[in-house]
This record gives sequence, C-alpha cells and structure tokens, in this order.
Amino acid sequence: MRRSDLGEFEEIVLLAVAALSPGAYSVVIAEELEKETGQTVSTGAVHAALQRLEQKGYLQSSLGEATQERGGRRKRLFTVTNFGGKILSDARTVRNNLWDRIAPGELSKMGLNVSGL
Amino acid sequence: MTSLPPRWLDKLATKICAPHLREELLGDLHERYALRYQRSGARKARTFYFREVLALLRPSVMRRKPSSHDKVSLLSPEILSNYFKIGSRVLVKNRAYSLIHITGLAIGLWACMMVATVVIDSLSYDRQWSRADNIYRILGVNNRGNSLLERSASSPAPLAQELMRNYPEVEACSSIETELMHFRLRPKNSEAIEASILTADSTIKQILDFKLVAGSFQIPTGNRWKLLVTRSFASRIFPGQNPIGRTIYQAPNFGSEPSPYEITGLIEDLPYNSQFRTDVIRLKPIKHEQLAGSKYIMFTNNYLLLKPGTDVSKFTSKVNQWYAGVMKNNRDRFEFQPLQDVYLHSDFAEGQKVRASAKTIYIFAGVALLLLFIACVNFINLSIAKAAARVKEAGVRKILSGSRSQLVIQLLTETMLLFGISICIASLSYIFSLHSVENFLGHKLAMTFSSNLPMAVAALLIAFLTAILTGLYPALVVSGSKPGHMLQGKFNASLGRNRLRKTLVVAQFSISVIVLVATIVVRQQLDLMKNKELGYDKNNLMGIEQISWNGKGEAFKSELQRIPGVVRSSLTMWMPAEGAGNMQREVKNPADANRRLRVWYIAGDVDLPATLGLKLVKGRMFSDRFADALNADSLQKEGFEKFENAQKNQNSLMTATAAKMLGIKELDIPSEGAHSVPVGVVGDFHNESFYEPMKPTLILAQKSPEYAGMLIRIQPGTEMQVGTAIGKLWKQFFPEKLLRISNIEDKLTKQYEAESKLHQLFMFFSGLTMFLSALGIFGLVVQAAEQRSKEVGIRKVLGASVSGIVALLSRDFVKLVLIAIAIASPLAWFSLEKWLNHYPYRTTVSWWIFVATGAATLAVTIFTVSFQAIRAALADPVTSLRNE
Repeated sequence: MRRSDLGEFEEIVLLAVAALSPGAYSVVIAEELEKETGQTVSTGAVHAALQRLEQKGYLQSSLGEATQERGGRRKRLFTVTNFGGKILSDARTVRNNLWDRIAPGELSKMGLNVSGL
Repeated sequence: MTSLPPRWLDKLATKICAPHLREELLGDLHERYALRYQRSGARKARTFYFREVLALLRPSVMRRKPSSHDKVSLLSPEILSNYFKIGSRVLVKNRAYSLIHITGLAIGLWACMMVATVVIDSLSYDRQWSRADNIYRILGVNNRGNSLLERSASSPAPLAQELMRNYPEVEACSSIETELMHFRLRPKNSEAIEASILTADSTIKQILDFKLVAGSFQIPTGNRWKLLVTRSFASRIFPGQNPIGRTIYQAPNFGSEPSPYEITGLIEDLPYNSQFRTDVIRLKPIKHEQLAGSKYIMFTNNYLLLKPGTDVSKFTSKVNQWYAGVMKNNRDRFEFQPLQDVYLHSDFAEGQKVRASAKTIYIFAGVALLLLFIACVNFINLSIAKAAARVKEAGVRKILSGSRSQLVIQLLTETMLLFGISICIASLSYIFSLHSVENFLGHKLAMTFSSNLPMAVAALLIAFLTAILTGLYPALVVSGSKPGHMLQGKFNASLGRNRLRKTLVVAQFSISVIVLVATIVVRQQLDLMKNKELGYDKNNLMGIEQISWNGKGEAFKSELQRIPGVVRSSLTMWMPAEGAGNMQREVKNPADANRRLRVWYIAGDVDLPATLGLKLVKGRMFSDRFADALNADSLQKEGFEKFENAQKNQNSLMTATAAKMLGIKELDIPSEGAHSVPVGVVGDFHNESFYEPMKPTLILAQKSPEYAGMLIRIQPGTEMQVGTAIGKLWKQFFPEKLLRISNIEDKLTKQYEAESKLHQLFMFFSGLTMFLSALGIFGLVVQAAEQRSKEVGIRKVLGASVSGIVALLSRDFVKLVLIAIAIASPLAWFSLEKWLNHYPYRTTVSWWIFVATGAATLAVTIFTVSFQAIRAALADPVTSLRNE
C-alpha cells in the first residue's frame, strides 16, 4: 500500500468530504475544518487539496446549484469514490493498530490525557 | 442583499484565477465572504477576503488550461517573418509617419550616443593605473578668514617627502609636473619639435606603472638630463631608428645654450585618457629639504601613494595637526584628492592643462537626455495618434482569433524596425561626426562606441530596451480594447488619453523654450565678457612670451621701436591672460581686521602703463625723468632683505580699486599696505578674466628685467608686417631661442573658451530640440486633420471660411505651446539666474528674452501647424465626405 501520496491535510479534507457527504464543497469543508481545528483555513488551500484528491481518484465531483451569495456562480460538489473510501479506511486501520499497541500506563506517563479515548 | 467584497480585490482574484476555475472558486470566495460578513462584520470579512485572494497565489489555481487548438508558438520562425513582412509593409505604407519617426529617433539616439561617449570618456580618466585607487594629489587649502577657502593644486615641494618620512601610510611620493618644451635634433637646427614633458621624481615608477620597452630609467648626472621617450614620439623624431643613446636639445628659455637631453629609455605610450599624457618623461633626483626653517619654499604638484585601506579623512586630519604644530600656521591646510577626481574636479587648478569641468559634462548629459526624451515623446504621441487608424486592423485580427500577445508583438516589431533603422542611421552619423566632436572638445576621445566592443554591445542593449519600453505603451493601448468597439470606431472616444498626449507636448515645448532661453543668455554672457571694457586697450597689442633676454632686452627693444608700425613697447613680467600679476602680498585689510587682503603686483619697465593704454586718474605716470625703475634683478641677487627694503621706497602706480581698498588718500608718501610709494592712480583695469572680481593691483617699474615678456603696441592693420619684421630681428638677436609671439586679443578671447563652447552646444541643441518638437507637433496636426476631415468637410459645406478652419485646427496646439511657455519661462529664469551668479560680471536676464523666445516658439508652432491645417482647409469637401 502506498501511503505516502496522502498528505496529512489531504487526509483531513478527504475525511471532511466523507463526513459532509452529500453536500460537500470547498466552503463547507473549509468552515468545518476551521470549526474543528480553530485555525483559519483558506479556500484556496482546500481547493488545491480537493483538486489533488480528485486527480488521484479518491474523489469525484459534479457542479451543483448556484446561490445569490455566490453571485450566481455554481458550486462544485465532491463525493468520495470507492477507492477513496478504501484509502481512508486503510489509513484508519494503520492508526488504530498503532494506538492499540500503546500500553495505557505509557500514555499517562507521557502526560497524555487518555480519559477522552 | 449582503454587501459585496471590494471590487479591486475581486478583479485581482479574477486575474489570478485560471478561467476554467473561476466559476467555482470565485463563487466559493463570495459565499465565504457573505458568511464572514454575517458572523463578524464588514471589516473582518474584508481582511479575511484579502487573505483569501492572496492564498489564491498557488500554481494549481493560477495554471491556465491548455488550449485545445494546435498551438503555434508566437515566436516560431514563420510567424516572426510574418511580423516583419507586415511590419515593413505598414511602415512603407505610412511613409510620412515613418520618416518623422526615424528622423526624430535617429537624432535623439545620435545625441545620446555622443554624450554617453563624452561622459564615459571623462569618467575613464586615470582609472587604468594599477594603483589608481591609492594615488592622491595633495591640495593646498588657504584659509583667508571668514571661511573664505582657496584651493590650489600645488603644495610645498618638501611636504611630500616629509609625509613619507613621518607616516607609514605613505608608500611612495613624487612631484609630477607637465609642461610644453621645444626640442631640436641638433643644437643649431632652426626648427624645433614641440613636446609635452613630464617631470617627476625617480620614485614615480612606484606610483604610475610605465612599461619600459628598451633602455633603462636613469637619474640625471651633473647638468645632463636623461629622457624617457614614448614609442609614438620616438617614431616621430627618429623614424625607424633606435632612439636610445641619442641626444636632443631643448630650445632655451633661460640662458643662451641649448640644454642637451640624452634619451636613455623607450616606454609604451601613456594612456590618452590620463592627465599625465605626455611625450617624454624626465626624472629628477629627490632633494632632501626641510619644510620648516627654509626661507624660500618651492611649490609643486605632489602625489602620494597611500597603503591600501588607508582612511584618508583620518590621515588628512593627522597631517593637518602635525603641519599646524610644525609650521605654527593655522591658515594653510591640506587635502588629499583621489587621482580619479583630478580630471573632472579641478576647477581651481589653473595650470592643469588636462582637465574637464564636471559641471559642463552634467549640462551636456542633461540636455542630451532631454533630447532623447523629446524624441521618445514624439514616438509615443504619434504612435497613439496613429493607433486610431490601426484599431480596425486590430479588431479584425482579434475577431479572426488573433491573440492579444500576437498583436502586441506585431506592433512591437514595427517599433523595433523603426528603432533598428534609426539606430543604423544614428550609428553611421556617430562614426562620421566623431571627429568633429573631438575637434569641438579639443581633445581625443579614448573610449568610443566604435573602438570598444563591450561598450557598443551595452549601447545596443540599452537602445533595444528603450525601444521595447517606448513601443509597449502604444501597443498595449491598441491591443487592449474590445474588438466590437474597435470595429465601431468607438476607439476614438476612448482616446480621452489625450491628457497624456497634451502633457507630453507641453513638456516637450517647455524643454525647447528653456534651451532656447539658455542659448540667448549664454550668448549674452559670452558677449559681455568678450566685449566689456577692460580698462586698457586690448586691440592692436602683440605679446612675446616670457624668456630670458641675456642682457639684450633693452637693445632689442630699441631696435624694435624702429620697425614701422610699432608705436610703443615694453618689457614686462606680467602679460594679459596670465593671472592677476607676477607677485602678490598679503596685507592687513584696513576695513576688516579679521581678513587679510591680497594685493597683486605687476612689474615691467617704465613704458608698461603707456603700452597697455592705462588711463591716469590722479598723480603722474611713470617716466624716465624720475627714478621710478628699480634695478630689481641685481638687488635680488644681493639679498632678500635688501630687495624688500628697496621695494618699500619704490615708486608705484595703483589702480583706483587698490587705492580704495588699501585706504590710501595721499600720494608720494610710503604706504605700508602698498609696500611702496604710490605716485599715481590709474583707472581700474581687468588684469584677469571676468571670472574674477576686480583685485587691488599695483604697478611697479623695473630696469630692463632679465626674465620677462614683451608687449608691443602697433598701428591698426600692421600686424602682419610687424610680425615678419620682429621675426627677422629675433633671428639676429637670439638665433638659438624660439620666438613665441601672439595676438593679445586672441589670447583674451581664448579665456572664455568654456562659455564659447557652451554657447555653441546650446545653439546646436536648441536647434535640435525645437526641430524635434516641431516635428512631433506636425505629426499630431496631420493626425488631427485626418481624424477631423469629415468635420472639416461638413463645416466647409455649411460655409465655414478657410481661415476659420485653420484657426479651428491650430487652436488646440497653440494653447498647449502657450502653456509650455508659461511653465518654462520661470524655470529658465530661475536656473539661469543661478548659473549667472557664479560670475562676478554677469549679464541680466531681461524680460525681452522671454518675449522673443515665446514669439519664436509660437511662430514655429503656427508655421508647422498651419502648413497642414491650410492643406486640410483647402481640401475639397467632396473627397472627405464621399468615402462611405
């Protein structure tokens, strides 16, 4: 499995698309990420990530409806492809496996709060 | 309705974003703006929007989608040749325009090349020596009280040696003097060869690098000088022979025996662009003299070689502190002038022959740049005017899917062609005019575009760049509008860029007016200095340059007196155009105790005042009946003190200024200020050029001075015959010496060479600027007449008169020129007043100059404009109205 072509930001964007499906497009994704991370996320960055993910075949897109706030411009809606879903779950499996191998005692020793897990 | 983000940011975003992404991306941006606006208000939303737009600057957003058509590169050979084909056809079709363009540009480029050459040449002086950066000339600065500083290029001769002994910073030092000498190949030869000779200490080898070809550097032994000759001089005097070991003879100025010079070395020619350019070099042994305690101090041009990295300002203050301590003298200070500055910044150095004035170079450069500016303005103006005719073509091209860049390249190609032709013409005229410019400057140019390849390449590059910059604006204007508008002819309306054109025309004419006013004022100043009353009669006066008379001065003079045509003659130690006097003293100023007054002395025999034609105001002139003349030569031999004492009681004449400044009211009593006994007051006369204010001057009489020149007053129109007669007489008296005789008036006129050159320069440039401005306005009028031909036709049909139409077409331009005159006049007045303030005797910038200039400019404008306007007005209205 080639994990290297999924960057961290890309992974988060891909996850966000999956979470916001079926109404996922740049604006809502960026807003969602801002809310989750508490940091400003520019539309351009999200757009670039979406473009890359689509090129890699993890996403597919179609043009949606236009609204007044958009100045009559249509939006591009994204959905996760089967391949994209597989990549996401692969990534999750890798992480879960690693998390599971950490002994609970170790985590509190490191000063991590594990109660939330 | 939510408010929208700032328009300019929107436009910017549209520019940044690739067209195929605009719909979604800009929509996204607007939607987020709206969200922010609701959440946190307008200000935050705007800031955020700004950051969003900046964040668009990424390749994935900016990259344009490749076109689906087969793409032909804009610069492929076929297309390029097409550009040229169309371009040259366009130029040939609009012959008149092309001609105006080419004339204007060629003149502008030529002027710029020429001036660039002069500037580069003058900046290149003395940079080629390997230690050029570390060589300094010692300047003497004399403080005459009240921050009145007087610089001079010379400093006490022993100073350099002392500095070398005292300061480790000094690596080497030498005095360097250049002068003209006359050499004979055999002692008794009648003809002599003029050579410039450089006299220096033997240490000069360490300072300047001479390339010795053959022989050796040798220091003179006894009274035989040793010479180093340059290759070119050697081939001039001994063509095809080995000069080493031969002896040549200097025609004597002192004594009667020609002094022999043995040639011991052959060196490469010194670079021409150096103030040390010379034919021969003689080395002299270093004299070890003490600065303090010697009575007579010789002055010379001293040069120092400092160690690399020496802080010159620190060194200067160290030296001055030391000097003040040693000499108990606070009035003399020294400065160290870098060798590279010596050529351009030596206005104070009277004796320095190889020098140029930085100010003149700046004026020269400024005027030429203005000329190029005018030429480029013409180009832009005409191109925009012509653009109206090109828009239809541009529109059709655009509709047939020609891209904008293609159009721009097409138009730029035309510009390039025009510039190319102009550059060729300019280069040719440059090569042909180089010689006349050298004549005008009075010296050769060492660095020219035709002799220096890197310079030529750089010039071509700069010309190319100018061409692109000049051509870009019209090209963008033409290609920028919408094809629909272009075809409808709406472009004319959008030529409301007229304001720019008008501004440019005004600027152009302002420059012309300023240059024209400057020409007149420089002329006036020159006339004033040439023709102002000197206080003595400069006409019909001849002079023999200073020489030692070997005791035969009086005899020669009495023989000379017999030549028909000679009215009067006088042996004199001072000649007009050779400084203010032959001696000076500093005395207390009776009017201001803080200042010292410099009094100048002119010494000659008793006939000097009468020969000069001075006018007596009070008292009496010198006469043989009184013991006016002092036997100065023999007294000086007896001792300094004795001579000084004798002078105190010597009779003298003083000028009215001297009498006033020294406060002498009574004659015939010894005066301390005058250091003599004034017996008469003569009218003021200008012993120096009009660059200098009137100086207090005293005239002393000496009995047949041994080392002196001669002034000869002749009858009008006898100059030729007197000249030949003097030549014959000279051969009898002094066969070994050269007769150097000159016309005093010519010599005086030569003093104002700088102004005379400036005047010629301005004459030339004012003609050119006026011509170019007229050319530009001519093009614009042609354009206006063409554009308004229908209007004119209709007016004529409706009964307008020819004069009415001419007035209609000319009015706009005359208005612009009037504005230009109004702007330029005060500017010209201000700058010329500033320039004139340097002169103690200056002309006034009177109102009529501006009236005359304005009238001339207007006349040129009206002539140029009406030429075309009358043609338009006389045209048959049918032809102009029929074409649709």
